[in-house]
Amino acid sequence: MRKKSLFYAFSLLSISFILILTACTPQSRSASGTPTAVSGESEKVTLDFWTFWGSETRRPIIEKIIEDFNQSQDRITVKHTYLPFGDIWTKNLASIAAGNPADVIINDYADVNLRASKNQNTDLSTYLAENNIENRFYPELWKNVLYEDKAYALPFNTDTRLLYYNKKAFQEAGLDPEQPPQTWAELEEYAQKLDKKSANGYDQVGFYPLWGDFGVDSWLINGDNGNGYFNENNEAVINTPDKAYTLTWLKSWQDRLGKQTVDAMKADFGSGVSDPFISGKVAMYIQTGTYNTQIQEFGQDLDIGVAQIPEREAGSGHFSSGGGFVVEIPKGAKHPDEAWEFINYLTDVDAQKYWAIKNFDNVANIEAAEDPEANENAIYKASVDNLADTKVFQVPLSASGYKDLINPHMDAVFLGQETPEQALAAAEKDVQALIEKNK
Amino acid sequence: MTKTLRTPVPKIKRKKLSRLARREELQGYLFILPWLVGLFGITLFPMLFSLYGSFTDYDVTSRMNIVGLRNYVTLFTNDPLFWKSLYNTLYYVALMVPLTTIGSILLALMLNERIAGMRVFRTIYYLPAVLSGVGVYFLWIQLLNPSTGLINTLLGWIGIAGPAWLSDPMWTKPAIIMMKMWSVGGGMLLYLASLQGVPAQLYESAKLDGASAFRRFWHITLPMISPVIFFDVVTSFIGGFQIFQEGYVMTDSGNGGPMGSLLFYNLYMWNQAFKLFNMGYAMAMAWVLFVIVLILTLINLRMSKRWVYYEGGED
Repeated sequence: MRKKSLFYAFSLLSISFILILTACTPQSRSASGTPTAVSGESEKVTLDFWTFWGSETRRPIIEKIIEDFNQSQDRITVKHTYLPFGDIWTKNLASIAAGNPADVIINDYADVNLRASKNQNTDLSTYLAENNIENRFYPELWKNVLYEDKAYALPFNTDTRLLYYNKKAFQEAGLDPEQPPQTWAELEEYAQKLDKKSANGYDQVGFYPLWGDFGVDSWLINGDNGNGYFNENNEAVINTPDKAYTLTWLKSWQDRLGKQTVDAMKADFGSGVSDPFISGKVAMYIQTGTYNTQIQEFGQDLDIGVAQIPEREAGSGHFSSGGGFVVEIPKGAKHPDEAWEFINYLTDVDAQKYWAIKNFDNVANIEAAEDPEANENAIYKASVDNLADTKVFQVPLSASGYKDLINPHMDAVFLGQETPEQALAAAEKDVQALIEKNK
Repeated sequence: MTKTLRTPVPKIKRKKLSRLARREELQGYLFILPWLVGLFGITLFPMLFSLYGSFTDYDVTSRMNIVGLRNYVTLFTNDPLFWKSLYNTLYYVALMVPLTTIGSILLALMLNERIAGMRVFRTIYYLPAVLSGVGVYFLWIQLLNPSTGLINTLLGWIGIAGPAWLSDPMWTKPAIIMMKMWSVGGGMLLYLASLQGVPAQLYESAKLDGASAFRRFWHITLPMISPVIFFDVVTSFIGGFQIFQEGYVMTDSGNGGPMGSLLFYNLYMWNQAFKLFNMGYAMAMAWVLFVIVLILTLINLRMSKRWVYYEGGED
């Protein structure tokens, strides 16, 4: 009798297990990747589109773009799902593993190749063979959606960094507000003229290279002729004389202002009205093109100008750094054909133009980016022009996670624990070891 | 002689269960079924799965091939960040556990005094333990601001120039430990309850014998609350090894902070699992941590025999 009740208990247990497991089992999908729906053409397909654009500014823009698409035809309905930035990609991973992913998702440039190698996004080459839209994008961005020469995503937007400067501060310091610094030497000269020191420290700092949105990585690109940390053969080339020179130069700024000043001021920086450039604590500041919308919102009376990032010396190149987001079809999405139609639309001129005009965000579609209407805004135009000098790098697969190895050495330079040469040599050695390990 | 090598064991006849009893038995199983499903489905199965996964190159979406001990070998022989994150975590646990334990005992002793308005004080000191999560970390980022933060302002009053807490790798972990000290109220509550359970006659007779306040504390209070101390130490040990959020929230995009000084073990594990998709590797890391915590807890249990006093005896 006891056996019997145990049997009951176990059968109940196994039933509940089976229930749990079936809930997790991927729904069937056809091997060819075509939609499994067999109910005929008349059935309307609903696509789930995941973005992290939930802000008051961006949400209406992307939803208008989706709405326009839904209106334009009667076969596909796109549904927008907003997920917070911190969650969206872990959710994406989990849903791909569960076989029930979104149909289209906004994702990062930097790891398109990593996701492709892990079977997380869909190879678009068959669609591109029929309808080659490669030429609508900036080549620098297109490089980043490739994995083994096949595209696994389409570029959506991008960004680039510019030098913003406060014209009023320039005038006060006796500088010509129409002549922003062009070289590092000029930048230093201007910065020192713009510094305003008082008894308790600085009331205004002319410039500090690592405040704002242009980190050590970006400066190393700017100072090393536009080269990143890896060459075409995906070898680490970190310890170069030009990078050492750049790092030494960056450190000299900290030495001049004092590490304490730099740390203390940085800790006070906020956003909006307490943004250091908007509140007048810093006279020159490197930021992305969309930073201008913040200035317009919080610092209406600021008279500002923008310039390209100063070059190491005349002729070495005003290299800037960029990033941004792609649209891709997660692997296992149920309606890849319709999803392709939608991402084709998302990256086409109309949608891209609308995004650019409403956001002043840089878009990946060249024709839309250079559209005269959006370019009436001088700062937006400057950011579009700047794309020609902007570098966007794909991380070699064998070096995934390399930043955790490089950053501590860069920190060590600014803490005075390693010289620039030591830091770059050690970083190169660590990254080479990582690449060797991942081979 | 050879008659009975086997003596027949008398069959113990189980009393036949009545219908009602059977029904009740079944109901019993039904009642614990949700828990059983939880244990097997949500705890045991994932644990065993991760044990299996730790011997594979599992990356969630494309592969799961057995690679033997490779993940473990790489961890110990070819991963500087593994050692760094382990060091950061051990450093944190080694300081946090004794400091919060001593802190909450001292606080409980003070809050055990009989003075007017004690309930208010107890509430005030307990409050931080109720607050948790990301909001608290942002609050502390402001408190730890080197120039305008409250901590350095207070230090300035007594003539100490406070460090750049969250940007100087020497001070990042102490800053996090200090933040943890702020919420010792939870442990304090346990100690307070156990302090109030110490029989008053023990103190009375010690007083009659002329024992000083310190001796009374050392020879009566401490032994009497030692089971709670033990419990607190073991749980904060285990909790300490799980530190993750602090490193994730209080650094730029969870990059581990200045010179990787806040790259805690679980943060690195998370990066491996969800940023680099090396899930098998991360699973191996989880098991290494499990074994480390298990060993330390066993040592704790063994050592406890020397200093934990149970009034009613061991069992």
